[in-house]
Amino acid sequence: MISYTLTVNGVDYPVTADQGRNLLSVLRTEVGLTGTKEGCDDCECGACMVLLDGQPVNSCSYLAVQAQGRAVTTVEGLQQGDEMHPLQRNILEEGGVQCGFCTPGMLLSACALLERNPDPTEEEVRIGLS
Amino acid sequence: MSTTTAPRFVRADGPDKVTGSGRYTADLTLTGALVAKFKYAEVSHARITKLDVSAARAIPGVFAVLTQDDVPDVRFGPFVQDRTLFARDVVRFEGEILAAVAAVDVPTAQRALNAIVVEYAPLPVVNDIEAALAADAPLVHEGWSAYGAAEPIVRERNDASMASIAKGDVDQGMAEADVVVHSRYVADGCHAAPIEPRAVVAQWEGNKVTIWTSTQVPFDARAGVCETLELPANRVRIIVPHLGGGFGGKCGFHYEAHVAALARATKRPVRLVFSRREEFVAPDRRREGIVFDLETGVRRDGTITARKVWLAIDNGAYTADAGFFSQLAAMHALGPYQVPNAFAEAHLVYTNHQPSGSVRAPTAPQTCWALESHTDEVAKAIGMDPVEFRLKNAVATGKEGPSGQVYDEIGLVDCIRAAAAGAGYGQALPDDEAIGVAIGWWPSFSVPSGAYVKIDGDGSGQIITGAQECGTGAVMTLRQLVADELGMQAEDFELVYQDTSVAPYDMGATGSQTLFNNGRAAVAAAGQIAEQLKQLAAEQLEANPADIVLADGAASVAGTPSRSVPIAELAGIAAGGELLIGHGSGAPPAPPAVVGATCVGDVGMTAWVAPQFSCHAVRVKLDRDTGVARVLHVSAAHDSGTIINPVGATGQVEGAVLMGIGQALTEGTRYDDEAKQRNAALLEYKLQTCADAPPIDIHFVEIDTPDAGPRGAKGLAEAPNVATAAAISNAIAAVVGRPVRQLPMTAERVWATINGIAEGSAK
Repeated sequence: MISYTLTVNGVDYPVTADQGRNLLSVLRTEVGLTGTKEGCDDCECGACMVLLDGQPVNSCSYLAVQAQGRAVTTVEGLQQGDEMHPLQRNILEEGGVQCGFCTPGMLLSACALLERNPDPTEEEVRIGLS
Repeated sequence: MSTTTAPRFVRADGPDKVTGSGRYTADLTLTGALVAKFKYAEVSHARITKLDVSAARAIPGVFAVLTQDDVPDVRFGPFVQDRTLFARDVVRFEGEILAAVAAVDVPTAQRALNAIVVEYAPLPVVNDIEAALAADAPLVHEGWSAYGAAEPIVRERNDASMASIAKGDVDQGMAEADVVVHSRYVADGCHAAPIEPRAVVAQWEGNKVTIWTSTQVPFDARAGVCETLELPANRVRIIVPHLGGGFGGKCGFHYEAHVAALARATKRPVRLVFSRREEFVAPDRRREGIVFDLETGVRRDGTITARKVWLAIDNGAYTADAGFFSQLAAMHALGPYQVPNAFAEAHLVYTNHQPSGSVRAPTAPQTCWALESHTDEVAKAIGMDPVEFRLKNAVATGKEGPSGQVYDEIGLVDCIRAAAAGAGYGQALPDDEAIGVAIGWWPSFSVPSGAYVKIDGDGSGQIITGAQECGTGAVMTLRQLVADELGMQAEDFELVYQDTSVAPYDMGATGSQTLFNNGRAAVAAAGQIAEQLKQLAAEQLEANPADIVLADGAASVAGTPSRSVPIAELAGIAAGGELLIGHGSGAPPAPPAVVGATCVGDVGMTAWVAPQFSCHAVRVKLDRDTGVARVLHVSAAHDSGTIINPVGATGQVEGAVLMGIGQALTEGTRYDDEAKQRNAALLEYKLQTCADAPPIDIHFVEIDTPDAGPRGAKGLAEAPNVATAAAISNAIAAVVGRPVRQLPMTAERVWATINGIAEGSAK
């Protein structure tokens, strides 16, 4: 077990966990944010996508200790106060949410895409979300 | 009826889901909760000669290790009682559960699994559907004849459910044909593959248990727990948090009883969360492989004179809910055609594979794929355009289908025209492209269902329903139906759902039945409150209750809108007296009469209430050098009756089409020689993603269907999954010059077909 600090959605969380733990499991159990989902635990599905300093990362396949000193963004961090992020609002209004289990990963992938490419083509959106 | 519906539908559960605040089962924790893990057979067929869990039980931190010796000796199954919670004496597929462990954490639970000693004497592995039907084939269930079974189920050795449909004289019909076309097709099994791996949390308080579980069918799950743990229904509470998809994979009764038994044994809450591999290998719900033998007699003018089909379905090791698949597949193999002389024979065959069960339109996509590929062969044999052939022979309003059912107003012919037009059928295309067309059908299921509606003193309402939401939006749409009935807004209502102890029965998110049945129930419940409101308003406005109109959040006197009282005010009055409480079930429509067909193994699948129809026209580009098929465009036309929620309906068609593309091209389970899955992971089992999705044009042929759901709605969630693979097959065949005879039509199989190389066996 080692102790370190994770910065998630702008808040510092002290963590004490086995150093082999992945970021997904530490976020869900130690930090207590369950919005990030586990679909495969094998880097195949993308449901566990989070942003590390704005870059999309499959948190199931990333050691939590490696995220020290970096800004972790999860789906819970997209809202500004009570105001939904435009992507959250739009995916809802356009019928883009059904069961919702992959939605957090989709939203964060979309955020990362728009960050690096504010005006993507349809093809770029398809690749960005898959 | 008022038109207060918002122009754009926004899901009631949407904000939970986009903000990450919504809880799914695996997100729940309870104080003191233990971790559950299962010990699986890992062999496909063997007699257990030793099962010793004593060393596992002795490990510190292990609170319980349970086997079949530790639970009531109950054999269960909705059609054939062929299964126990844990393996007893014999294991019959690799994902069968030998033992369940509850331990303080995952590593300790894993150590306990490793400490369980199991020894086997191998039994012959049944790995091939057709070989399993041989008179001397090894039996998957030696004691099959002693099992209990539902009354109509006809069984014999490895055949767990045999069904036939016969109409007219098929031999005479074949003799009257100018051409008889005979085809063989083989479909591999595949998976529902919901993105959320299943999870179960159980906690006992006194003699009552609460189980949070990722099921599509909470009442079915409750029934399974009650049966296997011998408990009354009122002491078992099933709660489903948000459900991360199901596609049928989470129908039925799965692991709720195992986890409840662990929680009872340990006197602690217990939590099970599946890995992706477990999700692939263990559940008794995967789409069944089928072998087809199809024969159609046709006249030169395109008239079908007879159709004869034989098919064998891979049941896997246990029957689960597949008992009705034989007759259902027989219907799909005869197809939505006017066939005067028909004979179908279908078998549900035990093998040592993972058990089959209802995955989105069970048996239909594979059977449609086989029949519709065959249909293009028939049209080609007489030189007729395949769309023209279908327009001539498809079932239509007032016409008789292959089982003798005569159809009320239906829109299949319109679907064919609309889908073909949407695809630009007939246009000149490059020689490596073609448009394939296929038609499909699917029953609506008329079953009992209940709901309550209440409006509290502040005028805000709740719909308390037994229905289950698995993502389709069907439960979400109830708000709209109830609000319209009461002249209120959808936003005035919150949903209380997915809890067997607070709501009346509903069959669950299965059979595309939610809106069809629970919609009727919710409207009936709202109707009772509407009567109460009219009575209250009549007293306030000194009018006749029959003259009161509910609209725009107020009750007013018809023709005199100035004489009006807000519904919220009436709710306040009611809160001091007779509360606003409605309950409804609504009588399910009776199944239509069948004329002329005789059936063996009749489970009621030959006459369909409010049948749904579809036609998909798919444009495909084929790389002849590699066999890679790429779907360029899909035109999907559907008769699902009245469409109540266009946003939800569109989402269902888009998702189902994409699922159909996966089934057509990339999704198929491969078994090794020991009947174990070779591709039980998402990299090896390729699902379609955004990058693969073609443009999908959707056309709804809306018919206000009698004897259907509210406002003439039929079901929709499964129907759009039926015809896509078939249409892709016909496009590929049009480019190649002959069909690919095995599903999925992988690049390798397409390439082998192009190059005239025979395909392998049909495991």
